[in-house]
Amino acid sequence: MDVTRKLAVLADAAKYDASCASSGAPRRGSRGKAGLGNSNGTGICHSYTPDGRCVSLLKILLTNFCLYDCQYCVNRRSSDVPRARFTPEEVARLTLDFYERNYVSGLFLSSGIIRSPDYTMEQLVRVARLLREEHGFRGYIHLKTIPEADPALIDQAARFADRLSVNIELPSERGLRDLAPEKQLGGIRRAMGTIHAGTEADQADKSRSPKRPRYAPGGQSTQMIVGADASSDRLILDTADQLYRRFRLKRVYYSAFSPIPNSPGTVPLRPPPLLREHRLYQADFLLRGYGFQPAELLADNEQLPLDIDPKLAWALRHRDLFPLDLNRAPRELIGRVPGIGLRSAERLVDLRRHRRVRFEDLVRLRCVVAKARPFVVTADHRPRDAGLDSGALRRQLVDAPVQASLWD
Amino acid sequence: MRILSDALTFDAWRDQARALLRQGAAPETVSWEAPDRPSLFGLSPPPDAGEGPAPRVPAALVAALRQAAPYRVAGRWNLLYRVLWRGAHGERQAHLPGDRDGSALQRRIKAVRREAHHLHAFLRFQPVADDDPQRPLDLLAWFEPAHDILPWASEHFADRLGRRRWLIATPLDGVWYDGEHSHYHAPCPESWRALAREARRQDDPLWRTYYRSLFNPARLNPTAMQGHMPARFRAHTPEGRDIPGLVADARRGARRHGQAAAVGALPGKALRAPKSPDAPPPPGALK
Repeated sequence: MDVTRKLAVLADAAKYDASCASSGAPRRGSRGKAGLGNSNGTGICHSYTPDGRCVSLLKILLTNFCLYDCQYCVNRRSSDVPRARFTPEEVARLTLDFYERNYVSGLFLSSGIIRSPDYTMEQLVRVARLLREEHGFRGYIHLKTIPEADPALIDQAARFADRLSVNIELPSERGLRDLAPEKQLGGIRRAMGTIHAGTEADQADKSRSPKRPRYAPGGQSTQMIVGADASSDRLILDTADQLYRRFRLKRVYYSAFSPIPNSPGTVPLRPPPLLREHRLYQADFLLRGYGFQPAELLADNEQLPLDIDPKLAWALRHRDLFPLDLNRAPRELIGRVPGIGLRSAERLVDLRRHRRVRFEDLVRLRCVVAKARPFVVTADHRPRDAGLDSGALRRQLVDAPVQASLWD
Repeated sequence: MRILSDALTFDAWRDQARALLRQGAAPETVSWEAPDRPSLFGLSPPPDAGEGPAPRVPAALVAALRQAAPYRVAGRWNLLYRVLWRGAHGERQAHLPGDRDGSALQRRIKAVRREAHHLHAFLRFQPVADDDPQRPLDLLAWFEPAHDILPWASEHFADRLGRRRWLIATPLDGVWYDGEHSHYHAPCPESWRALAREARRQDDPLWRTYYRSLFNPARLNPTAMQGHMPARFRAHTPEGRDIPGLVADARRGARRHGQAAAVGALPGKALRAPKSPDAPPPPGALK
């Protein structure tokens, strides 16, 4: 099979992993040196596909042959898909070629499980070593970590890669047993623990030579599939929150289950609304950046509302805190106002050192004023709708109705 | 009214502005205009440097002016001079977002940074064929930036590409990196432009294969794509020509699942289960 055909198969096999980040790598460059590649901590999106997702890395599988039979996965062994396998040299050449042409900022490599978890992990490490040591590649490398692999191999991978990720896929032991019988939550958490411990030890090591590559400097991430099993948003967000706290993950990605060809009867034939994935990302953002707890975002519900964003839903349940006087409230509370982000909250606090905040300042800072209006007081504005009950206010603020999907 | 030519580098403009400040020339009495556009008054000679202490303004204000200078707009220096004048007369907020002029200045800075980012993201290099060993060049690119960012924003590629030798040509200027140093020319030499135009016409089937496979038709959302990547850049990428077809196919019903059409057309292969699903897979099960 020629490389073009392998690429068609192994990129198609890799696209269900939502992660595309190329950020968090240490500053390095190649000016005047042999080799290729730089990074400055921020990622670059080099293109966008018509699904709106960014292309920042060459995202492929080393092979889509797989011993496992995870029901939601297009590459499960019982799936009737075309199979292909790259050699490590082929992946290195493709990465360098795409990098040189400025199509991508690096490589995101994953693989089906072949022979054994250790063998598979060794192959992934071999590609990264080839790029770093033979080709002097200083671009971004993200390696998928096979949970059951020897921790020593994971530690090796961490010295070549900027980011590692172990996919949890489903938030419950039961979901995994039903849909991914070869995977176990214990093994997945152990691998995350290995990476977390390695990172901590590396950071604490004062004698570390500055020349020695750091341990997964871009941190670790994971992905949960949404809508392949019956897991609720509450279970998903509680799990994400635990993972952030326990293993200091950089990101949890949520991937709405995409129906696959020849779908087995164990998984749904239709996808969940993409809006559900979007609401989970919004809630995740509130967990990481705004100090919200999952319980605050969900109250007594199992699911996040689809028609309004989670911060607005929270505010509607806490009308006693509003309207909030932007000239007096603490910054953390301003960040909790619907339509006002953390950056804007900081700018408002800066601004009011010089003068009183007026409503037009929200417009200039590009806050979502329609959402913020009923919740704020400024020097020249008191909301007329402050007396409106939450149900009426909600009807006024719902996002535009979404186009019906093909399956409805 | 004093009309000055606006064909200036930032440093040359700053010298003029400093002289004008010394002379006490208020912003309403000075205008920088394109020399090729006939003006009612005709061009004035540049101001004399003059003597006396230089007017003092906050360093951050000058830095903001420098960052906003690449923003391409008729009369670009007039706003900068007004901000400088006000800063020199005690209005220390004149360059900050809370101020009316400052907010316009900050918008320009943001647009300039964004355009530099566009260069880093959407420029495409074409490798130069090996048939001419004399040609001091490995990679070629054509780009059409909206602002005058090339001289400094192209330095990114020297960090990125090591000792590779590359050339970027634009409608106005060009830069050639010889593996050690960059050489900037404005206007862009015609020979550079001809080389880059030739490169622009080349196709890249391998990249387009990747792009088509990476797209998930079950998640079609062209609006999001357009919001992130303006059409003026898509037109210069090899993948740009695949987009209408991918969108149309997905709309026609292929979006029931995520697989690329070309992959679905290949013969499939289900695999044997390992002996016991509970036991770890035997070594060598899938060589």
